[in-house]
Amino acid sequence: MPFNEDVAALGLDEYKFGFRDAEDYIFKSRKGLDEDIVREISSQKNEPKWMLDIRLKALKHAQARPWPEWGGDLSGLNFEDIYFYIRPSEKVGKTWDEVPENIKNTFERLGIPDQERRILAGVGAQYESEVVYHSLKAEWEQAGVIFKGMDDGLRDHEDIVREHFGKVVPYRDNFFAAVNTAVWSGGSFVYIPKGVKLDMPLQAYFRINAESMGQFERTMIIVEEGAQVQYIEGCTAPSYSQDSFHSGVIEILVKDGARCRYTTIQNWSHNVYNLVTQRAMVGRDATMEWVDGNLGSKLTMKYPSCYLMGEGARGEILSIAYAGNGQHQDAGGKVIHAAPHTSSRIVSKSISKGTGRSSYRGLLHVQPGAHHARSNVECDALLLDEQARTDTYPYINIEDQHAQIGHEATVSKIGDEQLFYLMSRGLSEDAAATMVVRGFIEPIAKELPLEYAVELNRLIELEMEGSVG
Amino acid sequence: MPDTITPADVGAFTRDQVEILAARKGEAEWLRASRMAAHGVFADTPMPTTRLEDWRYTDIKKLVRLDEFSFAEERGPASVGAGLPAGLATLMAEAGEFEARLVQIDASVVIRELPESLAAQGVIFTSLEIAAQEHPELVQKHLGTAITTDDGKFAAMNAALWTGGTFLYVPRGVQVEAPFRVYRWITEGGTAAFGRTLVVAEQGSKFSVVETLGSDDLAKPALSVGAAEIFADEGAVAIYTSVQRYGRGVAHLSTDRLVAGRDAKITTLYTSFGADLARADVQCRMQAPGSHIDMLGLYIADGTQHFDNQTLQDHLAPHASSNLLFKGALSDKGRSVFRGLIRVHPKAQRTDAYQTNRNLLLSDGARADSLPNLEIQADDVRCSHAATVGQLDEEEVFYLLSRGIPKAEAVRLVVFGFFAEVLEQLPLEGVKQELLRVVERKLATRR
Repeated sequence: MPFNEDVAALGLDEYKFGFRDAEDYIFKSRKGLDEDIVREISSQKNEPKWMLDIRLKALKHAQARPWPEWGGDLSGLNFEDIYFYIRPSEKVGKTWDEVPENIKNTFERLGIPDQERRILAGVGAQYESEVVYHSLKAEWEQAGVIFKGMDDGLRDHEDIVREHFGKVVPYRDNFFAAVNTAVWSGGSFVYIPKGVKLDMPLQAYFRINAESMGQFERTMIIVEEGAQVQYIEGCTAPSYSQDSFHSGVIEILVKDGARCRYTTIQNWSHNVYNLVTQRAMVGRDATMEWVDGNLGSKLTMKYPSCYLMGEGARGEILSIAYAGNGQHQDAGGKVIHAAPHTSSRIVSKSISKGTGRSSYRGLLHVQPGAHHARSNVECDALLLDEQARTDTYPYINIEDQHAQIGHEATVSKIGDEQLFYLMSRGLSEDAAATMVVRGFIEPIAKELPLEYAVELNRLIELEMEGSVG
Repeated sequence: MPDTITPADVGAFTRDQVEILAARKGEAEWLRASRMAAHGVFADTPMPTTRLEDWRYTDIKKLVRLDEFSFAEERGPASVGAGLPAGLATLMAEAGEFEARLVQIDASVVIRELPESLAAQGVIFTSLEIAAQEHPELVQKHLGTAITTDDGKFAAMNAALWTGGTFLYVPRGVQVEAPFRVYRWITEGGTAAFGRTLVVAEQGSKFSVVETLGSDDLAKPALSVGAAEIFADEGAVAIYTSVQRYGRGVAHLSTDRLVAGRDAKITTLYTSFGADLARADVQCRMQAPGSHIDMLGLYIADGTQHFDNQTLQDHLAPHASSNLLFKGALSDKGRSVFRGLIRVHPKAQRTDAYQTNRNLLLSDGARADSLPNLEIQADDVRCSHAATVGQLDEEEVFYLLSRGIPKAEAVRLVVFGFFAEVLEQLPLEGVKQELLRVVERKLATRR
């Protein structure tokens, strides 16, 4: 495929989503994080008191907890310099027409309505801290499926939220989960009733517009017994000189016999700190799959995890990371085998270019009594430049003898022979290298819905431009 | 973050004691000064906690209390066949062929045997104490250069407090067939011994060193804090093997550094059979092009034994290679930690580096933690690692059962085969046979 022409035609030489809207907000908190801000957020949202109590407890915990010292370099992240809450619009749009014009323009440029029209699936789009646009196919509603913004979810389904909030990711779990619990706003609330199987994916889109903005969406997905759902989200942010901060928490409950697939393609601009906690509790004979693409951001620390709680549960994590100049993708996956006959698979592919650094950080834990656990981890790293760096830090903790656990990782550069072969067939060196990279990520790309696979390939091509020679 | 230092952290091993030690041995000023500097690091470094990444799975604060130990005693010269502790005599009798022997009991080297023919070629094989007196230039040039003040509390503790010790110097081009054997023996609980080894392989030399660490089972805990520095100059071929066969009650902490020069080849084997707790921190440095290091490891833990192996394959130069294979079997409540790192520095292009850790869990209370890490900063490299944790291959056991071999024997044979892969890579036939017997015995007495 003559992708070079494609790229030129698209005019994508710069960060594609780097445009920004004028800031015109209903409410913008001052910078920094303290109790007043947390109370303000809660009161703006008219939240029940129990939620405010959780927020305040989480804030206290975050303030008492030491700043995380592992993983990527967080020294550039200054809480005093971050807006923790911005409210762009009064209400949630029920139809596209109701969405404020400037926000609509944003999403049109991002291709959201277009995508929605094309595949006729549900789209929730988050703009700053609030969900502003939202739709759901009628028949799903009739089946009892709930797909709305998390704030609406809390308002309309308080009992369900109260029962599950913070159960999969408690605020004590890690520093960023505590911060998120204190200031969360927006995110998706998804509830799939018993036995309901959705054959189209639900989609959400997250975007940061304001400079020095923190986005702290909270997503909760509950898949009842025997139900099935696929959820897809994409993230972008414009480029600013000031760093921004994104720290979402995604809690997923996959009950017995259910199946959930959660796909993220993260393409934040290169000054966003992207520190996310994604975790699923997986019941008996249930399956959780994470498909995780990390292309943007300055530093990503994200380790989707599966807690295999019921006998026969299965977890799968497919991830791809692309670290360009100045980027650090610290990604990976965690699987906790807590029940017998559970199985898991992690496939991680990373590409480091320029001064980019990609790290795989993983945990595989087989708890005592989780007999006959099986797991396999494969990590492959491709280095494109002399200054590029890759690391692999897999933790393998096995406490039950009836386990079969394997981990393998390889690091290599693009093979000279592969390049030579393709070039001898008339491809330019750039095109040949891109083709090799595309082949390298194929196992992940093929798991994505078509339009995301196309997008991923296009982004990779973009990033690869001029990478050789 | 550093925790406050309590008197217990420093224990009985005070600055005054270091002064007294250096004075009593009549040590040169440079050595006394280096001991004192090391003691400073030791005293200023808190006991590691599990909050430190390197110590995440070994709670040393809980396992070792430094204030429970006092210095191991000094011993006068001894001879083989007379007055050696029975256990030590057995270890020595079990050994295969050897070229020369050095025996340290507690704080002192009590036996030194070096054939006249080797001495005539310039080989030096003596206690590090004597070497520091007789060959100060050689010792000063190397001692404490591969292990530095950055290597942590126990490396510093050894640098401040070592006694006896081993010094082996093999001049240019000298090749020695059978191994140099070193024995270190701890006689009493409540004591701490600080063995130290310095091996210098000059250009084109070729030889092997086997160190065996032993004691009886001790009712009161004893502490062994060891350190070794091995230097292989251009084209040298050196084999360094550590056979840890301490009795129960012993905690063994060691810091070893191996440095390979241009086209040098080092093979190391670290085994853990005995002790309650053994932690080896082994780093190999590929210092110049063409260097190659094979790192082998073998551990069998039963009861509540806890073995922790920390390895680094450090590639500083281009066109070098390294290959690591550590295998372990765990039964009862035995625990192992393997944390290995391949680090390729930006200039180390054309590195080939491999790392494999395989663990067998033989009972339900056993636990294995494996952390095979890579940090790669050069792009033209081939690096890979693999780790597995699992049970015995049931098909292999079934095959043996179908041939009429009883279950226990079949399991033993399969485990035996599992370890044979490591030992086959050790190019020392006599030592290999000896270790196979130790493996066999350990598996037979598995509780």
